[in-house]
Amino acid sequence: MNSKSLISGIVGFALLAAAPLYTSNPYYIHMIGTIMIYAILLFGLDIVVGYTGQVSLGHAGLFGVGSYTAGVLFFKLGAPLWVIIPASIGVTAGFGALLALPALRVTGPYLAMVTLAFGTIIQILINEMDFLTEGPLGIKVPKPSLGGVQLNEHAFYWMVLALLVVSLVVVDRILKSQLGRAFEALRGSPVASDCMGVSVYRYKVYAFVISAGFAGLAGCLYAYSEQYISPNTYNFELTVLFLLAVIMGGRKSRVGSLLGAAIIVILPKLLDDLEMFRIVASTLAVLIAVGGAIAVSKKMTTPKAMALPVLGTIALAGFSFWLQSITDWRLSIFGLMILFVVYYLQDGIVGFVRNLFARKGPRAGHAVVRTAGEHKDAIMNAAAGAGQDLLIAKGVLMQFGGLKAINQVDITVKRGTIHGLIGPNGSGKSTMMNVLTGIYVPTAGSIEFSGRSVVGRTSSDIALSGIARTFQNVQLFGEMTALQNVQVGLHHTFGSNIVDVALHTPRYNREEAASVERGLGLIEFVGLADLANEEARNLPYGKQRLLEIARALALDPQLLLLDEPAAGLTAPDIKELITIIRKIRDHGITVILIEHHMDVVMGVCDNVSVLDFGQKIAEGKPAEVQANEKVIEAYLGGTAA
Amino acid sequence: MEILLQLVYSGIALGMIYAVIAFGYQLTFQTSDTLNFGQGDALMLGAMVGLTLVNMGVNYWVMLPLVIVFGMIQGGVVERIGVAPAIKIKSEFGWIMSTIALGIIFKNVAENIWGRDDLKFPSPLPESPMKFLGANVLPMEVLVVVGAVVMMLAVEFFNRKTIYGKAVVATFNDRDAAKLMGINTGLVITFSYALSSATAAFAGALIAPLTLTGATMGAVLGLKAFAVAIIGGLTSGLGIIVGGIILGVAETTTGFYLSTGYKDVPGLVLLLLVLAFKPSGLFGKTAIKKV
Repeated sequence: MNSKSLISGIVGFALLAAAPLYTSNPYYIHMIGTIMIYAILLFGLDIVVGYTGQVSLGHAGLFGVGSYTAGVLFFKLGAPLWVIIPASIGVTAGFGALLALPALRVTGPYLAMVTLAFGTIIQILINEMDFLTEGPLGIKVPKPSLGGVQLNEHAFYWMVLALLVVSLVVVDRILKSQLGRAFEALRGSPVASDCMGVSVYRYKVYAFVISAGFAGLAGCLYAYSEQYISPNTYNFELTVLFLLAVIMGGRKSRVGSLLGAAIIVILPKLLDDLEMFRIVASTLAVLIAVGGAIAVSKKMTTPKAMALPVLGTIALAGFSFWLQSITDWRLSIFGLMILFVVYYLQDGIVGFVRNLFARKGPRAGHAVVRTAGEHKDAIMNAAAGAGQDLLIAKGVLMQFGGLKAINQVDITVKRGTIHGLIGPNGSGKSTMMNVLTGIYVPTAGSIEFSGRSVVGRTSSDIALSGIARTFQNVQLFGEMTALQNVQVGLHHTFGSNIVDVALHTPRYNREEAASVERGLGLIEFVGLADLANEEARNLPYGKQRLLEIARALALDPQLLLLDEPAAGLTAPDIKELITIIRKIRDHGITVILIEHHMDVVMGVCDNVSVLDFGQKIAEGKPAEVQANEKVIEAYLGGTAA
Repeated sequence: MEILLQLVYSGIALGMIYAVIAFGYQLTFQTSDTLNFGQGDALMLGAMVGLTLVNMGVNYWVMLPLVIVFGMIQGGVVERIGVAPAIKIKSEFGWIMSTIALGIIFKNVAENIWGRDDLKFPSPLPESPMKFLGANVLPMEVLVVVGAVVMMLAVEFFNRKTIYGKAVVATFNDRDAAKLMGINTGLVITFSYALSSATAAFAGALIAPLTLTGATMGAVLGLKAFAVAIIGGLTSGLGIIVGGIILGVAETTTGFYLSTGYKDVPGLVLLLLVLAFKPSGLFGKTAIKKV
């Protein structure tokens, strides 16, 4: 967080804290309180929606679990506040885990449906288990007491505000730590995350559980704030409203969550007032029309693309004057807002404003000050023992239906060597890589890596045991900076847990600083020092390939698999690449190189295996292989029999 | 025993409705890898429009094809507004959110047109039960089963035997290749949504006389039908019928022996379990992910 946003944050929260002093109207105090409670939930929801990129329709259910944990604990046991708050967080996080463990094996629409089913079940259970929840009757919860004094409306407001600030700081710290990078990485490229030792499944579950914890806290506060809870509150509409808030305010932004919370709390109140709605709708229509006209005149968009939103908002304004009562049409208006946000405001209000004032160059928040002088050698030396067999694959068979992509291939790679894997397109080279890194489980055969079998282990487990890789079609985490990409590779160097992260303990600070230092060193090693703070998707293709190598090296691998690293590189870049590969070998790291540039293969490889139609047709020193008749035939076509 | 058999019969009728809605999910999933989260609301609109037509004096049997036509238009609109733009920008989040949004809008509009109360749909067949293997069956339940099977067979026939159907299948197999072969894949996807909503609307008009009709009838039906679609696998025709019947019977028996309040639970739990342990469904094939 830079000092400017820190100051504006402090001023903002000071104003919020002073709110009860300049208005005595309990209606407004309650409204702002509700906004803050929703914001706590949205911070959590944003972790799932914004960072991991999953759609959760179960957060109203989790919110309900939080509320009812508080309600039931108070109603049945008369538990005090300091028990109820942790209990609500814990129980809801537990429910989150219960949902996440099975549900997060699936993604996208499946996950959306599962979370929706979960939310529905929660609502049914709250309704039916009346021995615990009093069913549809609901539970009355008075304002909590703290130290024997019952909090009044204002004191409760300040308590919520304090918890909001704590939540904000904790969420912000989590998302800026290795955890946040892991969440963002698994959205950017799940396969690459797994191959960097960041288990997609495990971190999705973490994200969900953390998110559920915040939902629980919000739910608990909501119960105290409303002083009455009933099952009907926690329905599908609320869930949709939460999602609307996150995407409308702006994903991956705490300000966006606060803004979103304000919108979904204030908007329904505005909609109660037909006159107000007419004014808002008309203003909106004018704004969109003017904005559209400006955008078109500045050639930012085409008249055709702007036609729909302009006509839509004008129609909405017309509709508002035709309506007799607005309350009944609330949901339709929310629906229209979702459609609008999904197609015309994808980055939310915060993102829209940010784009409007976007400056060239790296974003201030992500800039890392480079330490003076050379970074110390960032590459770890691999374990000694040159000449021993590091990887032994025997009789590997990979079958897709009837197709044998790899057919009974034996490959042995000696420690400290560069082993080339060549063959015409479709010969099974990349499939071999995927088998070695656990993305595919071979149909038959055995693979042993430094004495341990690889078959059947997960990609992230294999990666952590020392096999790193790059990808034929680049799999960088596009929205993260080059440095952050490498830091994801350094994830395994972190031992700090969520408490360390939230409190910024010395251990976490030390590990984070070390990862920045090493990350910069690795980036420098591949020659991208000037681009460390650039988003990966903005790098030219050749540089992206180099960045992938830096990221893979961050894993401290024994074995590095390079899948066509020279593809798309210019001639000088290729020379650079050859130097880099040699340097990597000099650190004792074994390399398997898939490549079509024969000069690269012949120049650096100690041994070469040739695949054709899934079978190994030749193996040996580069020169031997080059002269092999079978190889020539495979590449140039056979002589007529 | 007689009660159990009777529960099984009504479970089968209910299950066939799930199967038809699930079939609708399959149709769109096959062409575009997308689903209409407002499928339940398409069913509700079908029932509501059917009810309005019947109240206007239209014969039930004449009403059915009209409802199908209405469903096709509704589905086409959903695809054009909610799904096509999302496919264009390749946003999964986009189509999920926009079909949910459209579903909410349809439900809200229905509430404003037809009110919030559940309405009775007059039965076109005699309401006195028939005896079958020692238990009572409502004639309407038989109609539901027959209608559902006929609807699915008709669509299957269309997909397998006509050139338009081949275009649908081709789009499913490889959207880009189909496009290069001159198939208007956009149109095929729109059409699949039209068919999908038409089956849902038809299912709504079929089930309405057995249940009550109301703006909220669709949501849970749509969700449970998704469970069926998953159990059956999003690509297996036989799977959804089996899945539908299993779920239907599980529900009617839970409703009777436990409490009607819990009758939605088995379907939802089943959905969670199947997705947790066999996401490709009991009848589906796992796709190979390419790196």
